[in-house]
Amino acid sequence: MINPANIFGRDEKRTNILGAVVLVATVLLIALFSIKIDSFATPGNLRVLLSNSASLVILSCGMAVVIISRGLDLSLIAQMVAGAATFSILINAGLNGWAAFGLTLFAMALIGAMNAWLIAYVEIPAMLATLASAMSITGFFRFAILRGEYLLLLDKSNPAVALLSSSVLSGIPVPFLLMASTLLVTWGLLRYSVPGRITYAMGDNFQAARLTGLPVRTATAAIYVFAAFTAFIAGLVVSSASGTVDFRTVTNGSLLFDVILVVVLGGIPLRGGRGGVGNILIGTALIAVLRNGMTLMDFSTQTQDVLKGLVLITAIVADRFINPRDIETDTVGDL
Amino acid sequence: MLNRAIGKLRRVFAATLVMTCAALVAVPQAQANPNIAGKKVIFVPISMGISLTEGWARRMKEHAAIYGYALDIRDPAFNTQAMTELLAKAISEKPDVLVVHNPTVQLLSRQIKQAEAAGIKVLQINLQSNQQSSAFVGANWERIGREIAEDIVKSCGKDSGKSGKVAIIPGQLTAADSVMMNDAAFKVFKEHPEIKVVSNQASDWEPEKARQITATVLQQNPDLCAIFGHWDVHTMGAGAAVKDAALQGKALVYATGGGDNVTCKAVEDGVLDRVWSYDADGQGRDAATLIDLLLQGAKSEDGKMLSLESPMKIIKAGSDYSPNLCWKM
Repeated sequence: MINPANIFGRDEKRTNILGAVVLVATVLLIALFSIKIDSFATPGNLRVLLSNSASLVILSCGMAVVIISRGLDLSLIAQMVAGAATFSILINAGLNGWAAFGLTLFAMALIGAMNAWLIAYVEIPAMLATLASAMSITGFFRFAILRGEYLLLLDKSNPAVALLSSSVLSGIPVPFLLMASTLLVTWGLLRYSVPGRITYAMGDNFQAARLTGLPVRTATAAIYVFAAFTAFIAGLVVSSASGTVDFRTVTNGSLLFDVILVVVLGGIPLRGGRGGVGNILIGTALIAVLRNGMTLMDFSTQTQDVLKGLVLITAIVADRFINPRDIETDTVGDL
Repeated sequence: MLNRAIGKLRRVFAATLVMTCAALVAVPQAQANPNIAGKKVIFVPISMGISLTEGWARRMKEHAAIYGYALDIRDPAFNTQAMTELLAKAISEKPDVLVVHNPTVQLLSRQIKQAEAAGIKVLQINLQSNQQSSAFVGANWERIGREIAEDIVKSCGKDSGKSGKVAIIPGQLTAADSVMMNDAAFKVFKEHPEIKVVSNQASDWEPEKARQITATVLQQNPDLCAIFGHWDVHTMGAGAAVKDAALQGKALVYATGGGDNVTCKAVEDGVLDRVWSYDADGQGRDAATLIDLLLQGAKSEDGKMLSLESPMKIIKAGSDYSPNLCWKM
């Protein structure tokens, strides 16, 4: 008999119990919504659901890789908005799309490298380092670049913006394509690349990974730069869809919460070392279906937040039971 | 003889003229410069960096420069905790006038009371607290909500051939303006059972959230007739969703806001269809004038709040549209 827990990612049974539970919950939820809401199980709604969750999936790829290495990147959303803002400023200044993309990618690599340097070389805990960098990125952009403004408007007729919100190859939306490619790249990197394997080793037991001579510092740099890239791609998707770059997403939005929710619900434990792309898909499926269904049923935003919060608490408690800490994995001061 | 008489008359006339002029000069002139130089005004907005508050601040600064009083702006950047702290500090500095922009009806009411008790005149701008103070200047939210709802009834109600389905996108369900606009709008909709509110979900003032909500709602109700967004900035996200669904002109996008040129551009681009603008630039001047008057000791006879309602500018796509309806920073 096929164990459903073994279908996704690595075959640690314990980790994937949570993933399997979430998967079953998602299927039940889909069944429930299909019965309760007329327009839920339609191709049109599937399209909306996918396009609304594209940015979430892309961000979750970055966050998942960081969490698997037993890190955390609280600056992901700040990076996303900063990347989108840089890109918009460059194309508003008349640069062509590719040049703007290249320059912004370089800037994002610098931000990622900065995070990694703080974590790997200065040895500040990831949570504090990225919290501080989130604040400084947002502050810097608002003060020095936007000169106090909150919002950047993107001209939707600009070819670069139009391309990002259009469809290619007979009706596949570009955001969906970007989401699929990010998933594919993340899967390839985690599974087949050397830094990917080191990421798992670091998450499993950081000291052991370092003692065996693995280049953990370089790997950390690669991980945070990768996260910065995913943040940038997500930023492009969000800003081209709504035609705005909004810095309040960082300060009062719940996107960071959603991203962590997706990763944890999918069954990637916060202490790292386990999980993969399959987990991201499971986590997003539940959140996307929940969000879509609640919107269709006209639940208020507060009710939605309460329900999502309850789901996260349940998942974290379940995570504690399924992945208990032991002497080997517990270290002082980590999450 | 005649010449003499004329000469005399001339002299008399000239003398009269000179005397009149002298009298005119001697009459004390209306004082153009009231003695309010050196007074202090502190302005605590919800956040700077948005056209609304920047537009107000520009006019206030102009007036402060004319009359020579000090205007100090403290920016809490959308952080309500920081806002109450900044306000407490402002009160302790005892300015002559304090200008506050209430995020909710509750948040600053105690501090407004405290400031007034300490002899500081408090001017509330655009969003009112449930605590009365010396003066208020701003939009009449009840009126905006009612007028937009009536316009929606006209476009989507009986005999319009439309579905009558409406989606409302408030900023936050507890924000003062959202509460008042929703109350007024639902009162109108109640009398028109053909209008159905299919969604009433807050966007947290974010365009992307508004876009996602709208995309989902449009999917369920492709025959949606109108969207009522409570702020033009986040409603632009809703407009983008309508555009993406190729329903422009079918699902009307209503919004309200300060009416700067970004709003007009959105109307030109078909992202927004109808905007009730409270003209932040005009509001800025009204507020600045009220500050001047408060500094000169103005108060109402019965001791109640002085109140100025901002006139509306209604910006609609179509033949009546003019880019001059919007102001530019």
